[in-house]
Amino acid sequence: MINLTGIDKYYDSKFQRSFVLKGINLHVKEGEFLSIMGPSGSGKSTLLNIIGLLDKPSEGQYTLFDKSVLDLKEKEMVDYHRHFMGFIFQAYHLIEDMTVVENIETPLIYKGVKSRDRKAMVADLLDRFSMVAKKDLFPQQLSGGQQQLVGIARAIVGKPKLLLADEPTGNLHSSQGEMIMGVLDELNKEGMTIIQVTHNERFAEFGKRIIRLEDGYLSKL
Amino acid sequence: MIRHFFINMFRNIRHNKVFTLINLGNLVVGFAVFILFSVLVDYELSYDKFNTNYEQIYRVQTRQEDSYPINYCTYSPPAYRYHLLSDLPEVEKVLLMREVSGGAHGSGQFFTLPDGSQLNEQDGYWSENTIFDIFTVPLIEGSKQNALTEPNTIALSETLAKKLFPTGSATGKLVTIGKHYPLTVSAVYADFPLNSSLRPTYMVSMPTYDILGDGPQYRDNWRQIQFDNFILLKKGADPEQVNAKIRDAFKNIKDYEKSFPYLHPLSKHHISPNSQGDMLIGLAILSLAAVLVLILACVNYVNLSLANSTQRSKEIGIKKVIGSSQRFLAYQFLAETVLHTLFATLVALFVAQAALPLLNRIMEKNFDLSIWSNGTMLGLILLVSLLVGVLSGLYPALVISAYNPVKVLKGKLFSNGGTSFSVKKVLVVAQFSISLFMLLVSFILYGHVNFILNKDLGFASKNILYTEINVHDTTDFETIKNRMLQHSEISDVAFSSTIPFIGNIGGYISWEDGAPDDRVMVSRNYVNYDFIPTYNLKMVYGRNFSREYPADNQACIINETALKVFGWKDPVGKRITLYGRAYPVIGVVKDFHPYSVHNLIPTYVMFLNSNVISGSSLISVRYTSGSEANAKTIVTRELEDILPNDPFEFKDFGVAFYLDYAIGFWQTMKRMFIFFAVVTLFISTIGLFGLILFTVRRRTKEIGVRKVLGSSIITVYWQLSSEVIYMLGFAVILGCPAAMVIYKAMPGAYKEPLSALVFVAGILLIAVIAQLTISYHVLKVAVSNPVEALRYE
Ligand SMILES: Nc1ncnc2c1ncn2[C@@H]1O[C@H](COP(=O)(O)OP(=O)(O)OP(=O)(O)O)[C@@H](O)[C@H]1O
Ligand SMILES: [Mg+2]
Repeated sequence: MINLTGIDKYYDSKFQRSFVLKGINLHVKEGEFLSIMGPSGSGKSTLLNIIGLLDKPSEGQYTLFDKSVLDLKEKEMVDYHRHFMGFIFQAYHLIEDMTVVENIETPLIYKGVKSRDRKAMVADLLDRFSMVAKKDLFPQQLSGGQQQLVGIARAIVGKPKLLLADEPTGNLHSSQGEMIMGVLDELNKEGMTIIQVTHNERFAEFGKRIIRLEDGYLSKL
Repeated sequence: MIRHFFINMFRNIRHNKVFTLINLGNLVVGFAVFILFSVLVDYELSYDKFNTNYEQIYRVQTRQEDSYPINYCTYSPPAYRYHLLSDLPEVEKVLLMREVSGGAHGSGQFFTLPDGSQLNEQDGYWSENTIFDIFTVPLIEGSKQNALTEPNTIALSETLAKKLFPTGSATGKLVTIGKHYPLTVSAVYADFPLNSSLRPTYMVSMPTYDILGDGPQYRDNWRQIQFDNFILLKKGADPEQVNAKIRDAFKNIKDYEKSFPYLHPLSKHHISPNSQGDMLIGLAILSLAAVLVLILACVNYVNLSLANSTQRSKEIGIKKVIGSSQRFLAYQFLAETVLHTLFATLVALFVAQAALPLLNRIMEKNFDLSIWSNGTMLGLILLVSLLVGVLSGLYPALVISAYNPVKVLKGKLFSNGGTSFSVKKVLVVAQFSISLFMLLVSFILYGHVNFILNKDLGFASKNILYTEINVHDTTDFETIKNRMLQHSEISDVAFSSTIPFIGNIGGYISWEDGAPDDRVMVSRNYVNYDFIPTYNLKMVYGRNFSREYPADNQACIINETALKVFGWKDPVGKRITLYGRAYPVIGVVKDFHPYSVHNLIPTYVMFLNSNVISGSSLISVRYTSGSEANAKTIVTRELEDILPNDPFEFKDFGVAFYLDYAIGFWQTMKRMFIFFAVVTLFISTIGLFGLILFTVRRRTKEIGVRKVLGSSIITVYWQLSSEVIYMLGFAVILGCPAAMVIYKAMPGAYKEPLSALVFVAGILLIAVIAQLTISYHVLKVAVSNPVEALRYE
């Protein structure tokens, strides 16, 4: 599904070019659960952002389902974000002015889903994550784990094929982390392709495949 | 989707209460001022348009090209009516009017009330019956066919009729005008509306004038330029054609060859009665100020929106990641701004309506306006509001929606400036420039009005009482004078045909050594021996009129301006010629201001009167300082004793001074601009407050992290201050020349030279406000706990 070949990412400053990613080749099949590990500053987030079309590589090829996605028009890119992928962040990044329900609902609004269908889809997820009682609370009123559950719910409510998670458990206690990983595992079993970045060896094991980044290079272990 | 949008907006407002309050308050004030002024300008332009025929109504005025500057006299001679206008095919109706006891003084008349007391009514006219055909004047009693056709009849305005006849109808009853003359009330008409430039309180029929005056021969008079000639043109008639036909009317009138009749449309009577742009310039300056205040509010809005967007940037980043398009976000922002402005406009409408009494006080007007009743106006204001919303929303919407989500979510947005920063600087410079400009113009106007009010007029204007009086029985003035001078409180008494600020008698003269064709329009005054000492005029050559020289009644005294015009080296003994008669000059008075300082000092000539008072005159009294209270009682009692049958009323000279059109105009301008300056300072302080609040907030975290609170606070303080001073510098470059342009454009014959102090004061005031705002915010951060600062974001 995802094909990265010869991806470089560098920043030019005054007299020097500093590479964040160098010669990355990566192939991810549909239904895979991939964990990316590596020391801080090795370029994990950068790689994930490139895959998620939030950032552009400096060099290299990137195809999704054999279609190059490096020179997309804004509209096409927005379409990928709406229909194809979901994001989860370490800092949750929920919209603070919106309730749980509204946060989860927002991507559906952008997708143009009808109100009645939206209600049903959101209710479904709330049920699944046992968050029905919290549905009208604001993010600040939830625990970290609960917030991340909302984050996941928002990421998957549009039924994306690809879920990108940047240290989804980074801010959580291990028990809550465990719970989140359980959810991801379940989603993967249902057929969703997942790529996660993590520092946690144990959580990395949830992935079917682990890759490691060292200073921008991919070191397969 | 819509619901989502509104929820989002309201949550945002709740979340950013301070911001919303500041920004909406700023818009409300901006719009309220703009609305007030739109209403005001609309009102000023609405004058006389209530007349159904107003587009066809003209006053035929007289342009006197031999006076300097060219005099556009609103008055005209009665001959226009009888020998110029009545036979023109383009003219449907003609109307001859004259102010009652008008011409020289333009004052009112006294009515005797049933109980014998006197009622002074201004703005009475002699008028022909055609006034009812030309102007739209509804009658309450009587008939339009013969309201003013019969001799010895008078038509009363509703208000005056109520005063004279509190109960029952007025028609058919007798009123006594002056203490002598009975007239029959023929009609009662509805008061002319406030926005009418012609507002007679009563009208006496023209046939009465024939009887009371010297008979109908006045109809052939081309020189008595003291009447009002109105015409109603036929539909479709070209006023220019009429102008061309009447242009040479004075060709054969000796001494008046350089006078020309011209049509002055009714629509311009109020704004520019004597074809001068003064009021128009004033109105333009005020409108400019109102528009600038609105622009200032918009600039503030844009600035604050951008500043606040740092708070919202995370939200935008997230929304983009979860599939919102940039365009949608831009629309959302734009819609939000438009809603803000529309809401602010709505509130501003209420504020403006509530502030109308304030405007009335400032303008000394009597608007009874309802903003809500003027549909076109409301529509226009909403349109402007929409436009303002789109304009001030567009830029922030584009900038904010273009945020890169990766950077925003990392919190990196403002670590490196980018282009939006310079635009923001431009906006702040605009804000400073407008504020500075408004402040400077206020200072300039303030200075100018003080100059006009306080400049030495060149004569004693303090401790003067004056009265207009129409004396029926010829009386030797010495009697009056001696009676009054018996009181130690009274130091001088004089009588004359005009006094400074009251009355003007024109006339063409030629002078010795002048070219045969040289003629100049002068202001004439017929004075008695005591006029020059009473007003403390200084002689620069020769002497005052004196009883010791019987020939003085054939002599004259001129002013310095006249001396300059005539170009004489040695004026005493030279001659001037008026209406074919030569008068030797016996003295020259130092220039004084017979009219307000707004006007040029005219060439001025005084002749000696007979010292016998009869007909319409002005009596002036100078009292010793400290006896203000007594003096009026004394002279009133004495004069009443001598002239029991002639009504009069002594007034302080200050009254005459403030009756002056230009003085009123400038006082209004001054008050308006002070109002504007206050609003401007208020809005820019709000803007600056918000802007710096957000800058400081952004740096709060940084300050907290460093923990070396003292030093970093000072760094932030200096950084902010130097940035502000730098932008203020640009504002000085823009604002000061713009203010100078206004100074140049200001109408007025005399202006005080611009003082550098004005500029220094304006710049300092803005700088101080900016510094205070910075200090306030930085101090607030400085005294707060660094740990708290860290928790901020
Ligand atoms: N705009 C930029 N300019 C220059 N260097 C940058 C920029 N953005 C990121 N980098 C650098 O890229 C490198 C990789 O960053 P990235 O966020 O991908 O690391 P990471 O592996 O996710 O680290 P962490 O585990 O701490 O999240 C870092 O060294 C960072 O300094
Ligand atoms: Mg990272």
